[in-house]
Amino acid sequence: MANVIGRSIVIDGEISGDEDLVIQGTVKGKISLKESLYVENSGVVEADIDTQNVEISGSVTGNILASEKVELKSDGRMVGDIKAPRILIADGAVFKGNVDMDR
Amino acid sequence: MAAEPPGVIGKGISIRGNLSGGGDLIIEGSVEGQIALKNHLTIEETGVVQADIEAERLTIKGEASGNIVASERVAILTNAKVMGDIKAPVVVIEDGAGFKGNIDMDVKLPDGIL
Repeated sequence: MANVIGRSIVIDGEISGDEDLVIQGTVKGKISLKESLYVENSGVVEADIDTQNVEISGSVTGNILASEKVELKSDGRMVGDIKAPRILIADGAVFKGNVDMDR
Repeated sequence: MAAEPPGVIGKGISIRGNLSGGGDLIIEGSVEGQIALKNHLTIEETGVVQADIEAERLTIKGEASGNIVASERVAILTNAKVMGDIKAPVVVIEDGAGFKGNIDMDVKLPDGIL
């Protein structure tokens, strides 16, 4: 069962774990996961993120380090640097920052 | 717009210097220098471009290194390899593409962020 941080939740601090996480609310601080992070449309993340996969449909401010893949969906908005072997940016996504796909 | 056929720089062609003009252009060969184009530039799989590029739209399937400014859109397709900074309102990167550099889409941040 997926972990969900709902729309009305605000977290200021660090999140870590080894399961998938879905963010619909607001997270400020730091996120480190061994699995996948999903930032949904309503999600607002102001944090440095360290995970395996990230899928962004909401807003992210911060740097992302992913061991597999970062996907910025068409509704996604992100400001910050991304380092991952696979990075996808969809048409309509908004991004400002540095991209490093060094494998 | 006039249906002028796109210009083609074929596989056997190497250009060193400045390239500028209107009309669409397809590069299958190699270009080193500077490119300023009013319309759509396509770098095909075989194309190798080492240049700062200015265009309305840019589609990259081959290799490009240099800084890119596009007034409309930049698309980096599956097998493309791109190094440099990109400034354009729309930037699309497909799965499998290689890219290293900075992207600036002139972000208008929504309320509630920053």
